[in-house]
Amino acid sequence: MRLLLVEDEIDIQHFLRSSLQEAGYQVEAAADGKMAERLAIDGQFDILIVDLGLPDQDGIGLILKLRQLGVRAPVLILSARRSVDDRVRGLEQGGDDYLTKPFALAELLARLRNLLKRNSPPGTETTRLRVVDLELDLLRREATRSGQILQLTPQEFVLLEYLCRNAGRVVTRSMILDKVWGMRIQPDTNVVDVHIYRLRGKVDGQGQQPLIRTLRGVGYVLKDR
Amino acid sequence: MSSKIVSPTMHSAAWRISLWATLAFACGTMLVFVFLPNFVADDIQRRSDAWLSGEVEVLGDVAERTPKDALYDRVVGEVAELAGKEVPNKLLSESSSNDSVFFLQTGGDGSLKLWVGAGDGRPNLKAIRAIQIVPDHPTDLRVEGFDIPFRVASIRIDDGSDIYLGLSERDELRVLRSLRLRFILIWLLLVLFGFGIVFFTARRMLSHVRQITEAASRIGHSDLNARVPTTERNDEVGHLARTLNRMLDRIENSIHQLHTITDSLAHDLRSPLTAIRGKLEMSLSAVDQAEQAEPIVAAIEELDRLTEFLNQSLDVAESKADALRLTRSEVDLDELLRIMIDLYEPSMSEKGMQIRLQSEGPIRIAADAALIHRMVANIFDNELKHLPADCTVTIQLKDEGESMALICEDNGPGFSEDVLPHLFERRVRGLESNGHGLGLAFIDAVARAHGGTVNASNRTNRGARIEVLLPHAARELAKSPLAVRQGSPQERRQLTGDDG
Repeated sequence: MRLLLVEDEIDIQHFLRSSLQEAGYQVEAAADGKMAERLAIDGQFDILIVDLGLPDQDGIGLILKLRQLGVRAPVLILSARRSVDDRVRGLEQGGDDYLTKPFALAELLARLRNLLKRNSPPGTETTRLRVVDLELDLLRREATRSGQILQLTPQEFVLLEYLCRNAGRVVTRSMILDKVWGMRIQPDTNVVDVHIYRLRGKVDGQGQQPLIRTLRGVGYVLKDR
Repeated sequence: MSSKIVSPTMHSAAWRISLWATLAFACGTMLVFVFLPNFVADDIQRRSDAWLSGEVEVLGDVAERTPKDALYDRVVGEVAELAGKEVPNKLLSESSSNDSVFFLQTGGDGSLKLWVGAGDGRPNLKAIRAIQIVPDHPTDLRVEGFDIPFRVASIRIDDGSDIYLGLSERDELRVLRSLRLRFILIWLLLVLFGFGIVFFTARRMLSHVRQITEAASRIGHSDLNARVPTTERNDEVGHLARTLNRMLDRIENSIHQLHTITDSLAHDLRSPLTAIRGKLEMSLSAVDQAEQAEPIVAAIEELDRLTEFLNQSLDVAESKADALRLTRSEVDLDELLRIMIDLYEPSMSEKGMQIRLQSEGPIRIAADAALIHRMVANIFDNELKHLPADCTVTIQLKDEGESMALICEDNGPGFSEDVLPHLFERRVRGLESNGHGLGLAFIDAVARAHGGTVNASNRTNRGARIEVLLPHAARELAKSPLAVRQGSPQERRQLTGDDG
């Protein structure tokens, strides 16, 4: 996967580049709009990360220009602005996504994956998810572990489904809040943790291999092996 | 409800102005129309008096010259009858029997000598005898059997007899009555016409003011681009509009400055925070032992709290200046609260607390979904942090007509008396609080940005009560096309998944 990173802050560019490379992306970086334009036209990129506050031009302007130049790759917008303005929302509707700074790396990677998947041809809709001995029937909304039916509330099922879909990958609290509860909030209480504890109590029974792991300071991961 | 339906026109200033102006106009014209018939009446009387005096003189002359023979009665009588046909103001349709004029001659002894007119003349003579009639001075005379008085002129001729010529005031009064009737009609028309002119002029003038008011009220907290409509004319209303627009220019300029400052502040702080967070995450992934990871984890969590604090303080600062920017979309408060309770309930029951929702069903408003989410999360966070175990939180959602109320009540210790008056100020918190002291200030900020209010108080028996009122103006917007830009949280909960 070829990725173009447009970010003028050298510190951020540096850690993003190494993290993204670690995650398997081939990263080219640009520090301003001009350089980004040149790189985008020359190279075929699968995805772009564009910071809104560039020294020579506005990030939105750059995206629109690249679109005119025929760049079709999806864009993840990074914004240091507090409120997400309407123009960003407009782009979001056009298939792109945004993330406000500061962000968790896991969230950035998840959003990149989402964007790439959105742009790939849709596969057959899966109706069953399977992680180790945990099985989810998405039509009957039923979860079983080693053949035993788990007594889950509808909300717990949605949460488990989200973890299963991201099995083996870290999901942060704000990602869970966004995807499971549909809110971009930052509660300063442990509300998500309590949901996870309860779910773990039901999924990881006694004598079974614990599947839901907490990564302190980062989030949670559902082990896939 | 139905007892007091008054059209909005009746409440308008144009209506009141027109009423008062019309009242003044009506009084003025009424005075004119009251005095005018009096002048006319005087004039008519003068003319009929002159006629009476002239005729009675002529009749006296005739009576004097006519020989006192057998034909005397006939000659004088015919002359008198002829005179009666030339009565001023006489109506043409008057019947042949002329009862509007009488001629009466008395002998020297005061007996009835000659009578021309309706009846036998005796009541007339009786009435004449009852009053003194001075020659050359026509006088009013009330005669028994006649409703309307006569005007009587007299003359004494040489043979010592008196000649009286009486003219009924009936025709005169009729003329005056029809004149008054016409005056009243004209007056009514004038008043109505005047009211119409004043009302429509006032309404036209004031409709400009109304347009300005409507436009000004549309200019919300966050939308300062709009301007009130101006007119070409250089009158007070045009001046008002231009002054308002100049004021809006200045306000927009200051708000823009504020946004620039807060945005650049946010940007300048967020960039290093991003870099620090990234480095912390990278070093976290490099360590294996839990003891080494602990400080890094603590730092990341601290940094996330700092970020949220930065966001909230800038929001509060902007809201204090009425400059918080909103991106409105349709929000169902009922649904939002259910999701939020679903999210917080496990944490609360873990602490031994209970939470209940009392809602009458969906209430949709056009609001900034992200801000409303954070506001409600803030209320719940506060309860979760500060409420002792075994307490109950009751959330009520009510449609109160003018606005909708979100009421959060608990049966905990309530706010301490010393912080109660300062609850909405920044950095106010109870002694045992570990928050950053922005909670209620932020809730207040969001409510204000949506044109609402927050009341915090202690309940009479026990516990705290926070009431958020959001006006229905926001709901009006919910119907407009700009809304429904984003799906409800429920829709977005349809998981797309993240895996490849």
